[in-house]
Amino acid sequence: MTAAAKHSQAMHFQARAGEKVRNPVLQRALQKAKPLFVGKRAKGMAALAEDALDVETLRTACEAIRNRTLADLDVWLDIFEERAKATGAEVLWARDGEEVGRLVVEIARRHGVTKATKSKSMLSEEAHLNEALAEAGIRPVETDLGEYIVQLAGEAPSHIIAPAVHKTIEEVEALFAREHGRPIETRTSADIPDMTREAREVLRQHFLTAEMGISGANFLIAETGTAALVTNEGNGRMVTTLPKVHVVVTGIEKIVPTFEDFATLMRMLPRSATGQSISNYVSLLTGTKREGDHDGPEKTVFILVDNGRAGLLGSPYQDMLRCIRCGACMNHCPVYFSLGGHAYGWVYPGPMGSVLTPLYTGIENALDLPHASTGCNQCGSVCPVRIPLPKLMHRLREEQVERGLRPWSERLALKAWAWLAGRPVLYRWMTRRAVRYLNWLADDDGRIRILGMAPGWTAGRDLPMASGRTFNELYKARKRA
Amino acid sequence: MRLALYVTCLVDLMRPSVGFAALRLLEEAGCEVIVPEGQTCCGQPAWSAGERGLAADLAKKAIAELEAFDHVVIPSGSCADQVRNIYPQLFADDPDWGPRARSLAGRTYELTSFLVDVLKISAVPGAFEGSVTYHDSCKGLRGLGIKRQPRDLLSRVPGLALKEMGECEECCGFGGAFSVKFGDVSTRIVDRKCESIAAVAADAVVGGDLGCLMNIEGRLRRRGDETTRVLHIAEVLAGGDA
Repeated sequence: MTAAAKHSQAMHFQARAGEKVRNPVLQRALQKAKPLFVGKRAKGMAALAEDALDVETLRTACEAIRNRTLADLDVWLDIFEERAKATGAEVLWARDGEEVGRLVVEIARRHGVTKATKSKSMLSEEAHLNEALAEAGIRPVETDLGEYIVQLAGEAPSHIIAPAVHKTIEEVEALFAREHGRPIETRTSADIPDMTREAREVLRQHFLTAEMGISGANFLIAETGTAALVTNEGNGRMVTTLPKVHVVVTGIEKIVPTFEDFATLMRMLPRSATGQSISNYVSLLTGTKREGDHDGPEKTVFILVDNGRAGLLGSPYQDMLRCIRCGACMNHCPVYFSLGGHAYGWVYPGPMGSVLTPLYTGIENALDLPHASTGCNQCGSVCPVRIPLPKLMHRLREEQVERGLRPWSERLALKAWAWLAGRPVLYRWMTRRAVRYLNWLADDDGRIRILGMAPGWTAGRDLPMASGRTFNELYKARKRA
Repeated sequence: MRLALYVTCLVDLMRPSVGFAALRLLEEAGCEVIVPEGQTCCGQPAWSAGERGLAADLAKKAIAELEAFDHVVIPSGSCADQVRNIYPQLFADDPDWGPRARSLAGRTYELTSFLVDVLKISAVPGAFEGSVTYHDSCKGLRGLGIKRQPRDLLSRVPGLALKEMGECEECCGFGGAFSVKFGDVSTRIVDRKCESIAAVAADAVVGGDLGCLMNIEGRLRRRGDETTRVLHIAEVLAGGDA
């Protein structure tokens, strides 16, 4: 079992899904969020026309940039390493999450770090970096508001760009009251700025006292050795410029060749994520503090992480490495918005998670996820880099079959059905009897309310039945008449 | 024009009236329609489950019985998507079945798309007194680009008023085996569809895929809605006595 698999709860998807569907507080939070995400993206994309830009053309351009990068990923990584080193940064490589933890702890020890502020990084979730730091006696402080909330609550993020989307304002209010030591004031959504200010006051102290800042990177720009950070709260700047040490932890696939490529991708990333034409902050971090600079880290370290990524190169799943982590796929996913992210059991939820979790933690450790999709392709049609998510989930289903990972009962049922469907005469004989039987099960109003062979259907729905005759037999009777 | 009507396994079993309605629409438009006797299922359930071998067997069977016709018409976006988009994928590298799959794919149409894009019909036999709202099924909409065709046809039905519901392009939560495997999630998704339907307050909800319609009807009834009719577009276009 890989290190990543140890932390995955993806095998409990089905049970967790049932629990989430029946959680009214969670459902309220999700129901509120979905139209906002969908509406904002739609508006942002529509606004592209004002700049005489076309969504589909841009998607194609972004897809091409990502494909071009992945085709020579090793070369771009070499170039990045060389250029980053030339700016005074250190570049380290990590095979997996555990190695990330070891490296960061080592750096922290070398610089006498007791506290590290963090800007949002999903890769640090993959690496369970906060746990590794805490074990080494170093206090990690999440500074993205959503991340701060889930850290206080002792939870994991449930969305890659809105980590606390599963929480209602009342829950956050109660949490803040408890953690910030204040009486509960039963606030309304109008008081969100007030609660944000409260969090800022707490975080400000951490920004000023942390010796190390840890961030991810939305992109690594090879030609200049630059890390690009796309944020909305400004916390990213504090984390990357105030402490004397800045550690960037990011996946090896985040690289783009040039600034121009970066600019093109930036047309799509904020729009796909939040509908913004550009995020409130875009930080381009190159090297360490130079002479005459007012701020900036004295030490910059890049930790470039594989954790399963290189294994996807040249595989049927390579397209997944194009992902720029915008969250549009989950924002448009009917399954995600019925459950929230925690049901998915690992770092990444929604359609991209249903592909990445099995690939990074082992196909056998996430059997439900590739099936947790209606195949609606709402994800694939909004993906800014045209990742064919349903196709990749489908390929994973095939691989489960090829590796004998599906339940024998399911396989036998499908085999028997396919065998029958290949024999029309027998099929017609059987189906005639089957519909008569179903019709017999139906109540007087023609509906089946309990169906033993498909309880998953009738638990929440009736099964409307027709006449108890197949089209085939009725058609034959009509032709004879 | 000699065409095959592929009624789909779901229509065969659960709602034969959809097959007869499609038949009537095509015949009234002047087509010679054959309903090939050996048809069973296009194989999509096997394909969706990841059973490529079984899916290929059933695809070969369907190709062999349908390829002699000028066109194949299917009253389902989902099954039409299987033939048009998946069959060629299944046999992409097969020197024998590949060309046959691609040829059939190019001549296979979802019903409303065939009526509008190929036959270009201007009148339909049906009439409907009241308002309907149209649910865009995922495979038809995102797989085949079917959006305007059903609306075009509905606008030609005397007495019918189309009232668009909110989020008409949202998935209903059916997803074939998904609806049984993850019944509670599926029910949660279709609940939102039911809310959109309730909000628009139309006399009927209409769609082009029986799977989605069974899901929507099943949930509407369970929620206590006994009045909103749930109809396949073929039934509306062909009229009540199809």
